[in-house]
Amino acid sequence: MAKRSTIIAAGVAGVLLVITGAVTALTFSSTESSGDITTVTVRLWDEQVAAAYEKSFSAFEQDNPDIHIDVEIVPWNDYFEKLRTDVAGAGAPDVFWVDGGSYPAYADAGALLDITTAIPADAQAGWSAPVTAQYTRDATLWGVPQLADPGIAVYYNADLLGDAGLTAGDVSALTWDPTGDNDTLIGVLQKLTKDYNGNTADSAEFDGSNLSQYGYNAGYDLQAMVLNYLASNGAQFQNESNQYAFASDAGIASFEYLVDLMNKWQVAPSAADTNTNGDFSREQFLQGKMALFQSGVYNLANVSAGANFDWGIVRLPSGPAGAISGVDGIAAAGNAASHHPVETQRVLAWLGSAAGSEFIGASGAASPAVLAAQPAYAAYWASENVDISPFYDVLAAGTAPAPRGAGWPAAENAMRPLLDEVFLGRTPVGSGVRAAQNAANATLTE
Amino acid sequence: MRSRGRLRRRSAITGYALLAPSLFGVVCFLLLPVLVVLWLSFQSWDLIGPITFVGLDNYQSVLSDGVFGNSLLVTLIFVALVVPIQTLIGLGAATLLTRGLPGSAWFRTIYVLPWICAPLALGVVWKWILAPTDGALNTLLGQRVEWLSDPALALPAVAAVVIWTNVGYVTLFFMAGLLNIPGQILEAARIDGAGAVQMFWHIKLPLLRPTMFFVLVTTVISAFQVFDQVYALTQGGPARSTDVVAARIYYEAFDAFDLGRAAVMAVVLLVILVVITLAQQLYFRRRVTYEMD
Amino acid sequence: MKWTRFSSTAAVYLVLVLGALFTLGPFLLSILTAFKTREQFAQQSALSWPDPFTLDNFALLLTGPAQFGRAIVVTVLAAVLILVGQLICSILAAYAFARVDFPGRQVLFWVYLSTLMIPPVVLVVPLYLMMTEAGLRNSFWSLVLPFAFASPYAIFLLREYFRGIPQELIDAARLDGANTLDVLVEIVVPLSRPIIATLTLITIVSHWNSFMWPLVVTTGTDWRVVTVATASLQSQFNGNWTLVMAATTLALVPLLVLFLLFQRSFVRSITISGSA
Repeated sequence: MAKRSTIIAAGVAGVLLVITGAVTALTFSSTESSGDITTVTVRLWDEQVAAAYEKSFSAFEQDNPDIHIDVEIVPWNDYFEKLRTDVAGAGAPDVFWVDGGSYPAYADAGALLDITTAIPADAQAGWSAPVTAQYTRDATLWGVPQLADPGIAVYYNADLLGDAGLTAGDVSALTWDPTGDNDTLIGVLQKLTKDYNGNTADSAEFDGSNLSQYGYNAGYDLQAMVLNYLASNGAQFQNESNQYAFASDAGIASFEYLVDLMNKWQVAPSAADTNTNGDFSREQFLQGKMALFQSGVYNLANVSAGANFDWGIVRLPSGPAGAISGVDGIAAAGNAASHHPVETQRVLAWLGSAAGSEFIGASGAASPAVLAAQPAYAAYWASENVDISPFYDVLAAGTAPAPRGAGWPAAENAMRPLLDEVFLGRTPVGSGVRAAQNAANATLTE
Repeated sequence: MRSRGRLRRRSAITGYALLAPSLFGVVCFLLLPVLVVLWLSFQSWDLIGPITFVGLDNYQSVLSDGVFGNSLLVTLIFVALVVPIQTLIGLGAATLLTRGLPGSAWFRTIYVLPWICAPLALGVVWKWILAPTDGALNTLLGQRVEWLSDPALALPAVAAVVIWTNVGYVTLFFMAGLLNIPGQILEAARIDGAGAVQMFWHIKLPLLRPTMFFVLVTTVISAFQVFDQVYALTQGGPARSTDVVAARIYYEAFDAFDLGRAAVMAVVLLVILVVITLAQQLYFRRRVTYEMD
Repeated sequence: MKWTRFSSTAAVYLVLVLGALFTLGPFLLSILTAFKTREQFAQQSALSWPDPFTLDNFALLLTGPAQFGRAIVVTVLAAVLILVGQLICSILAAYAFARVDFPGRQVLFWVYLSTLMIPPVVLVVPLYLMMTEAGLRNSFWSLVLPFAFASPYAIFLLREYFRGIPQELIDAARLDGANTLDVLVEIVVPLSRPIIATLTLITIVSHWNSFMWPLVVTTGTDWRVVTVATASLQSQFNGNWTLVMAATTLALVPLLVLFLLFQRSFVRSITISGSA
């Protein structure tokens, strides 16, 4: 009689044993800490820079045989959701990228290493000043500047320009004007937009509901579009006390202009495509279906690798207040709860050194924030015969800051659906933008 | 007397011993979390900062800002779209499949396939099928329809995917219900000269009432909690048109990092579902005793 | 008369076949696309046959940084462990509720039953907090623990079934000197095979498919399950549909095979349990 119970007990014990064994094996394969070598994990979202980091870190590991660096890529779409739960659950990597809108909450919560004291001051002197300023809060620096994106510019497809009888010169000094008096942008875009029957947007037969070629990527893209159009019309995104202030008259005119490019002039992909897929416009440009693509250096490597047509870069359209571009920097933050703070500091110091950042610039992956590494970036693109000066020249006229403040994630979450509707043309621009601003500001007072 | 008392005590000890592991699970992972969520609904927490007591602030902000109201409304519309349509299709399919035609078992098997598969994975498949520029459906139609990005179409599209997933499940129950109807009753009705339509309306449908009740209860409750398909297809967008309650709770907690607000929404959802379940139970009890009389 | 019957039968079959095509279509599209090259996908219709037939998408998933193979192993291990734990705990509890007399039995059973009303969505936030506090977030155990001890639903179904087992059989075994565990293992469990098979199928299916909890409690590739891996591929390779469809195929096909192997038990299980 005891037989069956023995068999069942043995079976259950066997299953549990196998599972425990397998889980143990999986646990070890995921940590793989061996002997005297400490593993420091670095997390970022950019695959191009990750490839440059791999090269940089193998150089570091040769001089520092006691440290192994793991590079971890988390896609942009999930990055900040996962980072927050990882930091909360004491499972965050030792070093992780942050952006200007995300780091204040972590700094305030004491989750970040104080860089001002962790890295020698002479090393800090070699970092891009605007990026250092962006990551300084309460007189403390909270990240090692990694990328210093210069301005936004416009990538053009020379073949499509040629088809429309235009040259790069015709699109290099475009102007936009909400009153229409001084506007050269819309006319050019109409020539560059075609429907499925091949009619351009300035012809009478044009069917804007069915485009085969887009003129431009007007849409709800904060960094590439909205911030620049606000600044070029003299409007602010946030005021000095970090309140959202984009629903001023000038701000609403900027939104109106962008929305009209999509919905009235129909020279850009519909918001239905671009609201939900941030990569849509880049894909269209790379497939040769978009003539002008306004973006930053963060897409330079992508465009260079993916475009099989003649292309170039020109200044972004200038507005009533001039051609003013947003600027943004990215920093690598240290985890204050890291289990190996000493090794983490050494890795951070390497990331902030000219030698460590050299690889980012030299591969053309991104524009480094370590000043001594910047010439390598310019040299790389010069060797590729790409003139990247439009990204830099625009900075002379003044710049617009990136979103800032501890409440940015919540504010973004509150305003996005409302602005989505504005761009879809479902709510009038004025009331929609005002509602978005109110919703964003309401999150600040909570 | 003494031995009886001892027996009883032994039996009590056995009972508690058998119950111990499951009681641990029920208390730790079902009852305690309900208390925790209730407690959390009075706190402010952004995951990385300290947890602080804020009284009724979360309730006030959730109930006043319209975002949660929108989610409740979207969920109600979703339930109102999904449940009746899938019940009708399921009833129709079950009627066709219980005519004794050869091959019925095969069709039944096919129809149930989506039900056993991961809703998330199916949602991803449908996301491609419904994609505007290179999606399978638009390629077939030869026309560009923005199924998931047009705020007017997105919720019906998500509902259609969920209906597609559930129809087999509903069909299965109606088949069982129809096959349980005693042959004599149908025979008697036929002798009385009832046609197929009359038979359905006056004989079969009333006899299916318990099945109908069960199907409605389970599908209403599960439709109230839909998440996976919404996450895969629309992430609550465009313009919050598919922002169902479960998705809102998730995004409030793990995207906007406002755990207190998420807890309030969870508490409200819990109350709604408990009320629905109890109401249905009461209705069912009354109905059953009434019918048995 | 004969003609109308024939034509009505034909119409019924037509409807059934259309329904079947509509049901199977997405599965077929997913599987076909998974075997296509990116170039073919970009150039030809969605309905075209894979030509050339390629396994690259699967190779990339299983050997690349997505670590899909690991996700499958983690999912299987978690599902099996949950199954074993749930069955043992639920059988013990159901037997206590069905056959053992102890004070508070009614109240406790009522408490168990009432937990059926708690929607899983409600539990996600507090469980996340509890797992984080316990230091178990993003571990294998966080996937398993909340479900491994009991399922009130399984206890309810098992109790109903156990109540149908004749008391005489149990009494006879008792007279032979069997204790409670002996009775369970020798008599109750063997007689309850059908309901245990049902619970096995629905537990495996529901934990292979579960998404929200693993999404919340794990990060990175270490402990992610198949559904979470699929979702994250979808957001990472937005537009690379051949790769994404290979992922959905890997997530769907194991259960499809299981279903076709055990379809009778499956269909019965769903009607018995009202869920899967």
